[in-house]
Amino acid sequence: MGMLFRMATRNLGVHKIRTSLLGTAIALVTALLALLSGLFTGMQTTMLRTATTLMTGHVNVAGFYKPTSGTVAPVVTKAAALRAFVEKKTPGVKLIVTRGRGWGKVVSDKSSQQAALVGIDIGAEVGFRDVVQVKTGSLEGLREPHSCVIFQSTAKRLEVKVGDTVTLSAPTFRGVNNTVDVKIVAIGGDLGMFSGFNVYVPEATIRELYQLDPLTVGAIQLYVNEPDRAEEIAATLRADIEKAGWRVLPPVSQPFWRKFDTVKREDWTGQKIDVTTWTDEMQFMKWTLATVGTLITIIVGVLLVIISVGMMNALSMAIRERTREIGTLRAIGMQRGGILGLFVLEAALLGLGATIVGVVLAIGTAALVNGIGVGVGEDFQMFVMRETLWLEMDGGTVALSVGVIAAATIVASLGPAWRASRLPPVVAMQSAK
Amino acid sequence: MPDAIVTLQGVDKDYPLGAVVVRALQGVDLEIDAGEFTVIAGPSGSGKTTLLNLIGCVDVATRGTVTIDGANTHKLSERDLTRLRLHKLGFIFQSFNLVGVLDAFQNIELPLLLQRDLGAAARTERVRGLLEQVGLTAFAHHRPGELSGGQRQRVAIARALVSQPRIVLADEPTANLDSVTGAQILELMQALNRTGTTFLFSTHDPRVVERARRVVRMVDGRIDSDSAMSPAAAVSPAAAVSPAAAVSPAAALATLTPAAADHPAAATSV
Ligand SMILES: Nc1ncnc2c1ncn2[C@@H]1O[C@H](COP(=O)(O)OP(=O)(O)O)[C@@H](O)[C@H]1O
Ligand SMILES: [Mg+2]
Repeated sequence: MGMLFRMATRNLGVHKIRTSLLGTAIALVTALLALLSGLFTGMQTTMLRTATTLMTGHVNVAGFYKPTSGTVAPVVTKAAALRAFVEKKTPGVKLIVTRGRGWGKVVSDKSSQQAALVGIDIGAEVGFRDVVQVKTGSLEGLREPHSCVIFQSTAKRLEVKVGDTVTLSAPTFRGVNNTVDVKIVAIGGDLGMFSGFNVYVPEATIRELYQLDPLTVGAIQLYVNEPDRAEEIAATLRADIEKAGWRVLPPVSQPFWRKFDTVKREDWTGQKIDVTTWTDEMQFMKWTLATVGTLITIIVGVLLVIISVGMMNALSMAIRERTREIGTLRAIGMQRGGILGLFVLEAALLGLGATIVGVVLAIGTAALVNGIGVGVGEDFQMFVMRETLWLEMDGGTVALSVGVIAAATIVASLGPAWRASRLPPVVAMQSAK
Repeated sequence: MPDAIVTLQGVDKDYPLGAVVVRALQGVDLEIDAGEFTVIAGPSGSGKTTLLNLIGCVDVATRGTVTIDGANTHKLSERDLTRLRLHKLGFIFQSFNLVGVLDAFQNIELPLLLQRDLGAAARTERVRGLLEQVGLTAFAHHRPGELSGGQRQRVAIARALVSQPRIVLADEPTANLDSVTGAQILELMQALNRTGTTFLFSTHDPRVVERARRVVRMVDGRIDSDSAMSPAAAVSPAAAVSPAAAVSPAAALATLTPAAADHPAAATSV
């Protein structure tokens, strides 16, 4: 093995141009894969963080209340007991908040738009403070009743600024329209496509608008330590809640506002609980990530084919040049496996060396890009949910890039190496050069 | 035949060449004993390389049997043939065939590494000894590209000998060397032969033939004459090779003269 290693490294060293060309190509593809994966992971992380702050918890305990079988309100009545129960039953929970949820019109002096109205308790919303980048004003204003926080795109559309008053208008669940005037206390930087449709008000203001009693909430949102396990946690919680005597809706992977019509048509009255996860609520996000993931896979797949062909070519060339040497090694007693090993080792060393260079390159680039804050175009912002590009180079991404590319180069070398190992030893006697 | 290292019986080798078949060897019977220094002589195309390839187990006969150190090579797997080459045969090539990326020491060490029998210290000792024998101690860490043709062939000889093979096969080992260097290489091989190594090589160089103890002449794929053949063998083709004559090269020479009268070519070369 030591001997094969020595021969492999030296052969790579002898063919400097071929080695460096192929090595550079492999390194660049690795770097690209790592950066694209970093972008993907970054998107995923940012999306998860942003979306789960703005729109949903990792796990949501919400539901629908039907005063009559034909009307429906997306609320949980007598929520305090349920909240206490959920808190007790869910280990590994970081944060539990309650929110009010509604959909109505925001009207300014100049304009108006439809928006999701979200009632929050700013004192409890630790994550919200982290995620929202206040451009003007202060989130503390939400401690006062009749206040609201909007995002830049909404502010632009409504032509309003901090200190202005807008009117929220929504039909109550009894069917009559109600309005509440709120003062804009802060304007946040846009966070992708969701921010433009969201208006945040104190929970009490939502209750006032919808004329709800103080024990009624929109949703109990749970933030857990392991968001990846949300499905599991939700399933357990759903079962626990049902066992404890609450009526529970069967799981349907849809955002809550898409369930309205179905629930409205169902023939029951009173309260039912619906336990959902962030993936249920954020179908759009899932779709976006899947699309981006597929695109990356295609790009990298094509590049992989190219470098695989390059590797096969380079090895075939090397084998043609070294036919006599291969025959000689076979003649003096090296087994076929030794020849196979020699060429696979050459490919593996080149592949591994180049992928490591590529990954180092990618990590450097990512640090630079993250450091200087490269702006993202407005259309793209909607997908990445950030104003600047964020490349997340975690251990998994790096290992995956190295693993995939190095494995591909090794696989590509198997064919030529196999052919080399099948050369008859008599080729050693071929005339020189 | 206790001492026979190589035995060929009724060996044919055909090369299909398009529609025609080139009959490179026809009915070759040959026996090589331990300690011999034998030359396969003959014009270009007479089948010398083909014969050496069959004995070297890098190619297989079309018909007949090739026995190396008691093993019928037709019955061996590819793997066992490789093992046989590694442990029992040494190769010296016309074009030296050193591994370009390894230095002299490493080239010589190669068969020992493949054998995996010796530890690092024993290997180093063995290789150093051979470097000294071939006079290249000072060039141990030169790569083939930094050595002259003669020096390269010395490295190749050391590589062929390092595994202490039963027989060393050399196909035209001096063909790519100038005559002075060629003579030196031959002298070296002769000296090594005196210390016990069996050599079998091919050549069409008459000066090489002069030094042989036994000469096998090939013409058109057949053995035309064999200086080791006893008079008895000459009259009785069934026993083409006499065991008595093959016991020692000296005996072969002693019994040669009467038979050689029938073979002018052999007579002139001895
Ligand atoms: N691989 C081959 N394919 C076809 N014919 C071959 C091959 N090798 C050798 N021959 C033919 O076999 C005969 C003997 O060749 P060879 O053993 O190389 O002779 P020598 O070594 O004495 O010059 C020649 O006619 C040669 O052309
Ligand atoms: Mg020849």
